[in-house]
Amino acid sequence: MIIRVKPNICQGHARCYALAPQIFQLDDSGYILPGDITVPEGQEALALRGVRSCPEKALTVLDGQDAG
Amino acid sequence: MPQAQPVIPNHVPPHLVRDFSYWKTPGMAPTPNGNPQAALSFVHREGPPLFYAPANTYDGRGTWVVTRAEDQRRILQNPEVFSSNRGIFMAALGEDLPMVPLEKDPPDHQMYRALLNPLLSPKRVDAMEAGARERAVRLIEGFKDKGSCEIMNDFAFPFAVGVFLQFLGVSDDRRDEFLGWANDQFHGTLDQRLNAMRTVVNFMKGLIDLRKREPAEDFVGFLLKADVQGRPLTDKEILGIAVLLFEAGLDTVAAAVGFDLYHLARHPDDQQRLRDDRDLIKPAVEEFFRAYSTIQMLRKAVKDYDFDGIMIKAGDLVSCPTMIANRDPAEFPDPDRIDLARDNNRHTAFAYGPHRCLGSHLARRELIIGLEEFLARIPTFRIKQGTAPVTYGGYVFGIENLVLDWT
Repeated sequence: MIIRVKPNICQGHARCYALAPQIFQLDDSGYILPGDITVPEGQEALALRGVRSCPEKALTVLDGQDAG
Repeated sequence: MPQAQPVIPNHVPPHLVRDFSYWKTPGMAPTPNGNPQAALSFVHREGPPLFYAPANTYDGRGTWVVTRAEDQRRILQNPEVFSSNRGIFMAALGEDLPMVPLEKDPPDHQMYRALLNPLLSPKRVDAMEAGARERAVRLIEGFKDKGSCEIMNDFAFPFAVGVFLQFLGVSDDRRDEFLGWANDQFHGTLDQRLNAMRTVVNFMKGLIDLRKREPAEDFVGFLLKADVQGRPLTDKEILGIAVLLFEAGLDTVAAAVGFDLYHLARHPDDQQRLRDDRDLIKPAVEEFFRAYSTIQMLRKAVKDYDFDGIMIKAGDLVSCPTMIANRDPAEFPDPDRIDLARDNNRHTAFAYGPHRCLGSHLARRELIIGLEEFLARIPTFRIKQGTAPVTYGGYVFGIENLVLDWT
C-alpha cells in the first residue's frame, strides 16, 4: 500500500502521527515529511485509519498500488 | 460598544437570510442543563448550507454562516480570499495590535508559524506533560476528600491557567491574579472585559521589558532572540503573540474540560467505559472535541467569491462554526450520537487550513491528562442533586456552575 502525501495541504494536525507514529513521520515543526509512504506489510489497516483521520484530506491511498 | 443596526447587504438574496445568532438562537442564551452544540444541529436538517445571519457578532454585525464541513474546508484552506485579519484589538480597544499569527495572512503568516510551531509541536508537548500532570493531580487531590467540587472554578480554569503559566515561564504565585483576569476577560461585563484585555496587554509588556533586562531561557526570552528573515521580532509582534496565547489558550481549554466532564456526569455508561478501558480516553477526547466544540472561525472576504452561484462580496464576514461542521451528517454518520470510539473522526475543533490551532497539541494533551487523572482519582461522579449546570453559546461556548458529587 502506498500513501500519497500532499505536504502543501498538511497543516500539522498530527492526527495520523497520533495513531501510527511509525508510519507517519513529522518534521520538527510537527508537519508531515514530504514523499509517498510505502506502508509496511501488516500495517495497512492502521495506515488506512491514519489516512481517514486527516482533517485536511492531505493523505490518499494510491489506487491499484495496494495489491500484494 | 455601540450595537450596529442589522443591515442586510443588497447582494444577499432574501431567501438566504435566517434569524440566526450565536447569542440568541434557542439554546444559545444561558440555559440550565443545556446542550448548545446539539441545539444548532437543526441547520443541517433545515438547510440551506450557506445562509446569512444579519446580527451574528458580539457587536451586532452580519455574517454568512457556512454549515457543511467540506465547505468550511474550502473556505479555511483559501486564506487568499478569506482573510483572518479582522483587527480584533483595534475594534475593542482602539489599539493596533494584531494577534500573531492568527490575524496574519500568508505569506507573513508562514514566517510566524515556522518560528512558533516547534514550540508547540507534538514532541515539545511531550516535554510539558509531566508538569501539566502534576498540576492536574495537585488540584484534584485538593478537593477529592470533599466529595464534591465546582469543576470550572476548582479544576478547569486553574488547570488551564497553570499550564499556561508553565508554558510562559511565569511563577505559579501569580495564578490567582491571572485567574481573575481570565474570569473578567471571558465572563465579565463589557467594561470588565475591556479592562482585563488592557491588563493582560500591560502584563505582557512588562514581561517583555523584564526579559530584556533579565534574559532567561523561556518563551519571551525565545521570542526576543528570534530571527525572522534576518531581523528580530518587534515588540509589537512579540506582544501580539503573547496576547494571542492568553486569549486562545485558557477559556477554550477550560470549556472543553467542563463539557467533557458534564457529558460523563450525565452518561454513567460512558463514564464506566472510560474507567474500564483507559486506552479509550484518547479517541474519546477527540469525540468530545467533535461533539462539544466551542469556537467559530470568523473570516473577512478580501475578494469577491462565487460560492456555488451565491456571491460573497469583498468585505463580507464569513463564519465557520466548528460545532456545526462537526455535526454534519455528510462527514460524520449519526452526528448527534456520542460514540467514544468513533473512527474517521476528521473533526474541525481546531479549524482547517493554515490557521489550524497552534496550541492544538497542548490542548488535547491537557484534556487527556485532565480526564485520565480525574477518572483515576475520583470515584463515579454525577451532577450534584439540586444543582443545574448552565450552558451558553456566544463567541466561545461554555458551561458554568458544574457541581459534581461523588459522595
